[in-house]
Amino acid sequence: MSFFSIDQTVLSHSMKLCFAGAGCDLQTNSVDLARALELLSIAADPLRAGRFEMRVVVDESSVEAVGEPHFRGLHHVVTASFGSTNLFVFDILRRTLSARVSGVVARDDLFWKEKLIPITLGVLGAAMGLVPVHCACLEWEGDGLLVAGVSGAGKSTLSVALSENGFNYVSDDWTYISQRQGSIVAHGTSAPVKLLPDAVQHFQSLERHSLQVSMNGELAYEVDIAEAFGAQVERECQPRWLVFLERIQEAGADFTPMSSAEARSYLNSSVERLPPQLSEAGAMRERTIQSVSTLPCWRFRYGGTPQFAANELREFVVTRRQEVYA
Amino acid sequence: MTSEPRWHPDLLRRFVATPYVFSSGDDINQLRVESNDLEIALGVRNSDIIHRKESRTGGLLCRLIRDMVGPVGGSEISMLSDGPLRILQQGRGTVLIHDRERAELLGFVSRRVPVEELVSSLIPRLLGAQPEEKIDSTAFTKK
Repeated sequence: MSFFSIDQTVLSHSMKLCFAGAGCDLQTNSVDLARALELLSIAADPLRAGRFEMRVVVDESSVEAVGEPHFRGLHHVVTASFGSTNLFVFDILRRTLSARVSGVVARDDLFWKEKLIPITLGVLGAAMGLVPVHCACLEWEGDGLLVAGVSGAGKSTLSVALSENGFNYVSDDWTYISQRQGSIVAHGTSAPVKLLPDAVQHFQSLERHSLQVSMNGELAYEVDIAEAFGAQVERECQPRWLVFLERIQEAGADFTPMSSAEARSYLNSSVERLPPQLSEAGAMRERTIQSVSTLPCWRFRYGGTPQFAANELREFVVTRRQEVYA
Repeated sequence: MTSEPRWHPDLLRRFVATPYVFSSGDDINQLRVESNDLEIALGVRNSDIIHRKESRTGGLLCRLIRDMVGPVGGSEISMLSDGPLRILQQGRGTVLIHDRERAELLGFVSRRVPVEELVSSLIPRLLGAQPEEKIDSTAFTKK
């Protein structure tokens, strides 16, 4: 049996970090991990959503790489294991992440960037006023466009097409929303954009990349959007519109207004149900969802290529901006 | 799209029903056992360890889920302790958490783990009532 006491271990590397609007007080015994996380951190912002503590003990005697993910949760605690050595324990009430990982995982920069940080924000976010919503987010001259849609609706391919069409990229699948001085702010992480195999028909540069099995078992391209497509990446923006994607068979596109009740229903459906022990976090989350659902909402039905849809959306945003700023 | 909220599937298994409930003791010292598995509920209720005063202060809520869908590989036990939380992991499919401040013992028990092992070995280790033999913490500098 192995026993790891974080309390009794000297975690000599401490730093204050910031991920997607959430402050993180890191303590670890690994200089490699501290450096890797520092590179992922964005500039500290005194108005960020909230803080959490991350305490990671790195077991250099273990060489276990990242294994199959396994998640479980009860009451205020969520566990995530990636093999028998790599265990993460999220305490939502106390806003802490306690972990024990192998030396190999501590130095696996991609794991922290693409998996662990987004997972942490998703799990602890509710307690910090940071709400994960199942939307892509793009930014045009300071104004944010949230693009919602069920899995397979084309959020990621459209995000790439929009970022090739003048928009700055914030996120393609999950966006983290916080409230700041009465406004809502959308944050992205550095997670890769995930494109299904047929996306290669629309984006030839994907031919340089290979398909991988993603965390949900799907075969997909998982690529850094700046590297693969030269996209300009923004870490956060202020959303102005919410658009729901709906693909249709016929070629063409139209926009129809949607009620905030419909928007709220969708946003609620994309967040994890919380147990009664987390009722306060649930209420805070509900307030943020309510704010997002009061954005002007539109249903965007389109048939055609992502590039065609991106052109339509660009025109839509330009027109809406003219109305707002006229 | 309807106006009724639709939820994600319960991927974390947070909302597994626990129809087998036993409770004893007064309000302050109440011992409550909840499980989706009658054998676990009975085994824990009847075990000595959770009744011992030195294992707990005040009451204790035990919520233990027999995990029929989780992974089953491995048998190595590892423990992690951080502040009020103490976590025991056995193999890939069993994880037990003791929150000392909240007096809660929560966990998922792999379908391969017999109740006897749970109550005579895993829970006592988690509650600190069994010596932690072969402790391997040599990788760290102690305070």
